[in-house]
Amino acid sequence: MEVRKGSSQDPNSAKYKLNQIAAKAYSDAQAAKERGEKVGWCASNFPVELPETLGIPVCYPENQAAGIAARGQGEKLCSIAEDEGYSNDICAYARISLAYAKIKDEPAQNMPMPDFMLCCNNICSCMTKWYENLSKELDIPLIMIDIPFNPDNEVSRDEIEYVKAQFLEAVRQLEEITGKKWSDERFREVMANSCRTSRAWLEATALAAARPSPFNGFDLLNHMAVMVTARGKPEAAEAMELLAREYRENIENGTSTFRAEEKYRIMFEGIACWPWLRVTSTGLKSRGINMVSTIYADAFGFIYDDFDGMIEAYCKVPNAINLETARDKRVRLCNNIGVDGLLVHTNRSCKLWSGFMPEMSRQIGEACGIPVVSFDGDQADPRNFSEAQYDTRVQGLTEIMASRKAGE
Amino acid sequence: MEVREILDVFRAADPAALKEKYLAEGRKIVLTAPVYTPEEIIHSMGLVPMGVWGADVLLKRSKRYFPAFICSVVQSIVELGMRGTYDGASAIVIPSLCDSLKVVGQNWKYAVPGIPFIPMTYPQNRASEAGRAFTKAGYLRVIRDLEAATGAKFSAQALADSIKIYNEHNALMRRFGREAGKYLSAADRSAVFKSAFFMPKEEHAALVKKLLAALEGEKPLSGPSVVTTGILADSPAILAKLDELGLRIAADDVAAESRQYRTDAPETGDPLDALAAKFAGMGCCSVLLDPEKRRADLIVDSVRETGASGVLALQTEFCDPEEFDYVIIKKACAAAGIPLLAVEVDRQMANFGQAETMLEAFSERLG
Repeated sequence: MEVRKGSSQDPNSAKYKLNQIAAKAYSDAQAAKERGEKVGWCASNFPVELPETLGIPVCYPENQAAGIAARGQGEKLCSIAEDEGYSNDICAYARISLAYAKIKDEPAQNMPMPDFMLCCNNICSCMTKWYENLSKELDIPLIMIDIPFNPDNEVSRDEIEYVKAQFLEAVRQLEEITGKKWSDERFREVMANSCRTSRAWLEATALAAARPSPFNGFDLLNHMAVMVTARGKPEAAEAMELLAREYRENIENGTSTFRAEEKYRIMFEGIACWPWLRVTSTGLKSRGINMVSTIYADAFGFIYDDFDGMIEAYCKVPNAINLETARDKRVRLCNNIGVDGLLVHTNRSCKLWSGFMPEMSRQIGEACGIPVVSFDGDQADPRNFSEAQYDTRVQGLTEIMASRKAGE
Repeated sequence: MEVREILDVFRAADPAALKEKYLAEGRKIVLTAPVYTPEEIIHSMGLVPMGVWGADVLLKRSKRYFPAFICSVVQSIVELGMRGTYDGASAIVIPSLCDSLKVVGQNWKYAVPGIPFIPMTYPQNRASEAGRAFTKAGYLRVIRDLEAATGAKFSAQALADSIKIYNEHNALMRRFGREAGKYLSAADRSAVFKSAFFMPKEEHAALVKKLLAALEGEKPLSGPSVVTTGILADSPAILAKLDELGLRIAADDVAAESRQYRTDAPETGDPLDALAAKFAGMGCCSVLLDPEKRRADLIVDSVRETGASGVLALQTEFCDPEEFDYVIIKKACAAAGIPLLAVEVDRQMANFGQAETMLEAFSERLG
């Protein structure tokens, strides 16, 4: 069988390499567990530089939950958690993860059971509760880095000092649990890798400014797994740089991984509807709509020069910042990339992301002069999404974008 | 004063009327949102803190800002703000202890632009030196914003004096929490807790003291009792049902009730450090980091100490901090052989039929 260059089967393609790295994160952790090493479960926006520097294997429950949901097992695991007494109002990632901690086997995405939890609540307070419960139920230590929601435009010195003390305490706790030792030299390597991966990611995602975009935005949802789980590794940096090169080649060759005519370009706001990925993707592609921008492009751009800079970067992740800063980031993305509309996923699982989205998306729409349409969905519980509503809303957005184009 | 007369004063503490009274006296009001705000600071600056925990109102205007799955406590705060119910207040202090409180602060700026938003950012790792320093920095920021919004000035001595007043009130409320269930209906008990958010602390403390003295001569009530837990327990329909069934509230772990009064600030040293030490010492609460889930132990201990027959969990709909804790509380109660009933409550609730039926069945079970 001929393997198309750049496809996921081509072992020299970025896509293949990125998929391999994401899968290896799980197999490495499993192998470490089998060797008798202590393994952690880690929040997606925890400073991965800490376990990476110490050489401690970790897995990512959010990534696992997304994988389980994308492979059609979200409802099953959510129901197991609900049978335990967890309300169906609770974040579906948390429900899936709490259910997995109980059943300890889900072929859609297994991972080794943890010896400790690494929590960082810079993306939501829900993380704190979820990891508290896992720590209690599994009777294992919780290492908690608390990064509060910042109501101001800048990160204060007081916040840096508070978070820094926690980073140092987390290192001390990890050394104590695992017996491994911190090395400044190793940290500098990890920091360099993380920044290199992030720069390549930002470069690749920014190439969507080309018309047509050299890639389908849904690709980013896939590649993001590497940004979550492996950004401190050199192979991640290399694969991201390869991705950027491929996208540049696509621009030169006039090709794209978006395999339709790019009639409209939109920003997609929110976490993907993993259980309905194909439906949400097809609903756009069939109308010639390419999702050329998401805040994820910005979210994993961890670029810094030293330990304090790393702390500041983790204090500025998208869900830790006020409405105005969050709005301005998106307005910049929309303007730099060039979009015709904004499609907002009102995500039932995420109170923080969706809770001020109506006001923020109104302001983005006004600032960029683009239509804004929202639909109801969920990142992992398939029951909170209606295909008919999605279709109607996307059709509505398409008609507004079409009439605006006709008027240009 | 007789018990009934004293209770009438608590019940008459209408926030709208009190707001007008304070304003007519030329006093400035600062609204305090759930779950914990540094009321002592507001009090010490000569301002009147008034608690805003929402109300049982139909949500209409707030829907412009919130998706439906944000709890009605915070949504109704914004609804009332947009309706003008809080007009005349000089500022609102909103802590960001849960995701819904984070978003209410952001929405407030646009929904109710006439009342300045003052954020209070607390640490979760609150007991360490760095945590305390961060809490203190948060208080200093609140002070700066209060000075700008009201023109009032902060003084450390005045704060030390206010801390004493609040500590005395805390001690009285702790005593009241233990005594109320022996003598008072659920509705009367609730009126005393609720009025503490609107009445000046000195007045409230004096009245609670009188009530406690008057209760000493009363005949204790009989019948089964429960320990309540949740964010709010002020639903008139639920309270009326508890009273109709003769179910007393022996103690509570309710955020708007006893959780407010468990911890005192030290009365020595720098008063802002003392307030930070108070926050460091707080716990057993769904919005404060509690990896060992000591809250569940506290509830079980409370049942044992008071001789209560069961636990009534009043679950505020869409309150995920409480929903996570509920599972651990449920397991702790089951392990201790304590009957537990969870009833979902909501500020939008119009039909209490199902809740009432559940309470009836629970009451029969407790016998």
